[in-house]
Amino acid sequence: MSHAASCRCGQLKATVTGVPVRVSVCHCLNCQKRSGSAFAAQARWPAEQVAIEGRSSSFEKISDSGNRATFYFCPECGSEVHYDNNGRADGQIAIPLGAFDDPYFLEPRFSVWEERKHGWVEIAGDAVDHMD
Amino acid sequence: MTANTATCRCGQLRATAEGDPVRVSICHCLACQKRSGSAFSAQARWEAHCVKCEGESRQWVRTADSGQQTTYHFCPKCGSTVYYGGGNFPDLVAIPLGALEDPYFEYIDYSVWERRKHPWVRLVGEHIEHRD
Repeated sequence: MSHAASCRCGQLKATVTGVPVRVSVCHCLNCQKRSGSAFAAQARWPAEQVAIEGRSSSFEKISDSGNRATFYFCPECGSEVHYDNNGRADGQIAIPLGAFDDPYFLEPRFSVWEERKHGWVEIAGDAVDHMD
Repeated sequence: MTANTATCRCGQLRATAEGDPVRVSICHCLACQKRSGSAFSAQARWEAHCVKCEGESRQWVRTADSGQQTTYHFCPKCGSTVYYGGGNFPDLVAIPLGALEDPYFEYIDYSVWERRKHPWVRLVGEHIEHRD
C-alpha cells in the first residue's frame, strides 16, 4: 500500500510504502514556526521506503543539541514535503501529515514538548504517549 | 498598544502586527492541512493597516473552488509562510499563529471545516464557535 504526499502546487511529491517507524506531533516552538500551526504532525519512514520527485529548496537547522535537520520545500508554493533529522533519526525521512493527499490514514502515537502546548487543544487517544 | 512580530525560520521575512487581532481561528480543510503540514492551520487576522511587512518574500496564489484568490507570502530561503491575504477577508492580513513570537492566545474564536477534523484533535474552551 502506498500513500502520496505533495506540495500545494503539486510539483514536489513523496510517495511512501509500508508502515511508518513513528507518527508524532510536536508542540515545540521550532515546529510551531515550521508549520505555522499550534503543533506539527509528522510520520517517519526508512529512507528506502520513500520516493521523492520534483524540485525542492532546502533549509538546514542545527538544533541546540548539535543535530542537523534539513527541510525540503517547494520553491513555487512554499509547502514542506519532507525532511531529515540527522543524529536523531538517521536513515529516515519525515513527512508532514498534512502533505498527504489522504492525511487520515495515520494517528499520532507520541505527543512531545507538551510543556509548549496551547491550552485550547488536546491530543486525544488511549494509545498516545504524552511527553513534556 | 502591543505589537506581535512574526518571522520566518531564517528570520529575514517579518510581519509586525499592532494591537489585538480581529479574529483568531483554526481551519481543518485539506488545503490548510497541506499548507501547514499539520492537522489544521491556525491563524490570527488584523486589519491590513495594522500589519507592517519587511523582507524578501515569494508569493503563491491559490484559487478556491468559489473563484476567490488568496495570496500567500513565504520566505524563499526557508519556506515559512509569514502572512497572507485575500480570500474571504480581503481587508485583513492573516498571520499563521506559529510564526508569531508570542503564538499563545487565551482562546481561539472559530474552528472551521470541522467535517475534515482529525478524530484525535480535541478542542477545549467554551469560547470556540465550531463550524462544519
